[in-house]
Amino acid sequence: MASPFNVDVVSPEGTLWSGDAEFLVARTTEGEIGILAGHEPLMAALSAGPVLIDHDGDQRTTIAVHGGFMQVVENRVTLLTDRARITAGDRAEAAAEALKLSEGDPLDFEE
Amino acid sequence: MASAELRIIRRRIASVSATRKITRAMELIAASRIVKAQQRVLQSRPYVSSLIEVISNVGRDAGGSGHLLSEVRDVSTVGIVVISSDRGLAGAYNSNLIRMAERAIGHHTLEGRDTRLFVIGKKAQSYLRFRGYRIDQTFLGLTDRPDYGHARAVANLVIESYVSGEVDAVEVFYTDYRSVLYQIPTRVELLPVQPPTDADAQEGRSVSYSYEPSAEEILSRILPRYVEAAIFGFLLESSASEHASRQRAMKAATDNAAELTKVLTRVANQARQAEITTEISEIVGGAEALMASDR
Repeated sequence: MASPFNVDVVSPEGTLWSGDAEFLVARTTEGEIGILAGHEPLMAALSAGPVLIDHDGDQRTTIAVHGGFMQVVENRVTLLTDRARITAGDRAEAAAEALKLSEGDPLDFEE
Repeated sequence: MASAELRIIRRRIASVSATRKITRAMELIAASRIVKAQQRVLQSRPYVSSLIEVISNVGRDAGGSGHLLSEVRDVSTVGIVVISSDRGLAGAYNSNLIRMAERAIGHHTLEGRDTRLFVIGKKAQSYLRFRGYRIDQTFLGLTDRPDYGHARAVANLVIESYVSGEVDAVEVFYTDYRSVLYQIPTRVELLPVQPPTDADAQEGRSVSYSYEPSAEEILSRILPRYVEAAIFGFLLESSASEHASRQRAMKAATDNAAELTKVLTRVANQARQAEITTEISEIVGGAEALMASDR
């Protein structure tokens, strides 16, 4: 089993997911990236898409992310996202969910 | 048969205790909302502190490369954001904040700077409009339960005015929530973004990152997010403060109503007693008169 590293998925509404993970996949503006323990320090801008977190051996959590940033420092991954949702389904569903999140910004309540 | 005086007092007692029931209900509602609002303030904090950590790390690593939103200019126009509430009945919550903002506007005018007003909440809007200030934009209906979309709308407007050069600095007036009993009106300089100093970062370690796509690109993406998150924080703090102020104001009103009922009941009893005494003395007087005429 791969050695774990710490992951926090943080949004303005609260901490969405926090725990130890063995493997993480996220979509940056440049393309998909996989993170294992001991990754070099990285700062990446995320685009809308699914984030996959493998943890506790065989568990997989998929999170639909609207965009944001990923910081990797000293075996600690922080995902900062202004909108995100944990999705139950597989990767494709998470991707669809992420697209839905990025549609329809609720900006139409001004006077 | 009750006299006119007694009837009027009884009516007042009924009206005061009806009011007491209303203020008591409002007090309870506000109290339950404080808890929720407080939780949301706490939940939003990790996001903001992580953002600050990232900005200061990137800033340090990328050699503090200047960005549009952190560029300091000569200030000729100041954008003023006032976060008040839509509803009153919250004690001095709105008036304290609005007075503070108005003083700042006066100060800027004295120094020869123009101001642009971005107003959140009906209370500040009606006050400032009545005083003849020109309001550039009003946001209504978001102070009760602010969500991130609201913050983003305000942030977009503020950033747009700053980037287009319409304003050269932005100040925010909001009410800082310290505890249930203590909230203070606060002024914050939001733009230009002051690069967080090392003291603000959790630890002053220097990290050399690899960037995707590049440090400048990330900084230019993250600063608007920071402005949004900051405004979201101000909205949440203000909302928690509003509920706390309202709870306190309504508690005072409830207590006053209870006190008033007590006093009025005493007066009513006195009136009732006086009436009975009068009746008895009338009866006794009548009987005396009858006895005198019988003799």
